[in-house]
Amino acid sequence: MFQNRAEAFALVLPAAIFAAVVFLAPVLILLSEGFRSGDSWTIQAYIDFFSQSLNQTVFLRTLKLAALVTAASAVIGYAAAFAIVNLPPKGKGRITGLVVLPLMISPVARTYAWLVILGRTGFVNKALVAVGLSDEPIRFLFTETAVFIGLLQLFLPLMIISLISALENMPRDAVPAARVLGANWLQVFTKVILPLTKEGLVIGGTLVFTGSMTAYITPAILGGSKVLMLETLLYQRVTVANDFVSASVIALILIVMAFAANLLLKRLATARNKR
Amino acid sequence: MTNKLFSPIILLLVLAFLIGPFLIIIAASLSAGETLAFPPQGLSLRWVLKVFEVESFRASFGISMFLAIGGTLAALILGIPASYALSRYKVPGAETIRTIVSSPIIVPGIIVGLALLRYFVVPFNFGILFALFLAHTALILPYAVRVVSASLNNLRSDIEEAAVLLGSSRIGAFFRVVMPNIRGGILAAFILGFVTSFNQVPVSLFLSGPGVRTLPIDMLAYMEITYDPSVAALSALLAFMSLGIVFLAERFLGFSRYV
Repeated sequence: MFQNRAEAFALVLPAAIFAAVVFLAPVLILLSEGFRSGDSWTIQAYIDFFSQSLNQTVFLRTLKLAALVTAASAVIGYAAAFAIVNLPPKGKGRITGLVVLPLMISPVARTYAWLVILGRTGFVNKALVAVGLSDEPIRFLFTETAVFIGLLQLFLPLMIISLISALENMPRDAVPAARVLGANWLQVFTKVILPLTKEGLVIGGTLVFTGSMTAYITPAILGGSKVLMLETLLYQRVTVANDFVSASVIALILIVMAFAANLLLKRLATARNKR
Repeated sequence: MTNKLFSPIILLLVLAFLIGPFLIIIAASLSAGETLAFPPQGLSLRWVLKVFEVESFRASFGISMFLAIGGTLAALILGIPASYALSRYKVPGAETIRTIVSSPIIVPGIIVGLALLRYFVVPFNFGILFALFLAHTALILPYAVRVVSASLNNLRSDIEEAAVLLGSSRIGAFFRVVMPNIRGGILAAFILGFVTSFNQVPVSLFLSGPGVRTLPIDMLAYMEITYDPSVAALSALLAFMSLGIVFLAERFLGFSRYV
């Protein structure tokens, strides 16, 4: 440890000032706009925002989809991560690589693929009609299901890798020991695996929930204006109506929900542990 | 759960869900037909070649490249000294500084873009490209600090203290002793920053003007007007580009150790 304060500040301040000026200050000013009315401070904008039924729908839908994607990715994530951790080392590395690989690819490309799959003339519809399960193409695009699928594909890898590292840090004999002592698989999961991997679940859950809530591309491409989410609503309010107050309100909601999700997941994890 | 049959099936399904869409997009981009379809109608490279002919794609590719490389370099220039100070010095208020520097990761990108547009570009007449550059730099900074800090923390600090005791200047010790040892971490940070910036959409949504658009934004705009397979072809090409970068990095660096 070096003690020289002047040197330390000279090294660290450019980055801190840059982030503060370019990022923090403009964002804080934007957030404050939602509380301004002339010269006074008010929460009227928030009351107005939540009194409109469209906004309520969009808010609840965003929460619902983010929660569903998080829950689904946790269930699939545990199964996949457990299978991966039990692979021989070489296979483990390769499969993990394949799981992480989509993260490196443009979300636009990743979402676009679903147009090809779920579109009117897409793969799924062709298959359904060919097999005779449906007489005419079913509309998948611009539904909540499409957005859900797109988001799940986008964020599942984050949950899987968080759970893989959590499962790897778990004592090797914990599961066999519980089995020997007569626990069934459900008990093994709730009493042994879950408490021992809760940190990974909290990290993965926060990443997936926050990611789903603040995703723009997926709801924009797969949901369109039929399935607005908070972020697409924000974009629409600004570009269509020049409505910066709503934008500010939505911005704060997004940030608050991200923090709340993190706190809630942490709380859930510790509550489980105490029992 | 350890069932010999269950695990492979789960893995197969999950991988099909995660990777399958790319295979489909690659197939769709090789179609000879006029519209996006899978299975493709005949095979041809016409849409792959078309990508290179679309003027706006070429221009926006250049802009995205500039932002990804320039933004990452700027973030590293700011981030490396900061990481060094945070790991080697007693910095008063270190936690606050760490929070400020990594805050861009917490706030949704669309808000950053909008805030910059409203309080920088409009009032001060900043160029869009400059604003984009600032935004991308701010966005990459947290990654740069995190990855470089991790590799600094893995490096014992007594070797540089030894260099200083042996008469090297602090700066000399940094460049001759520390830098060569964290080169891998810096390169990993560069790649992570590059990929993050190149794929970034929300920050750039509001920050686009006449002639200035990042590639993903341009793709979104193009998709709205046509339904031909050229966006699929471009998506496939970009996927291969990302994969190539990651593959090379993994090959020569063991990239995954750093991320």
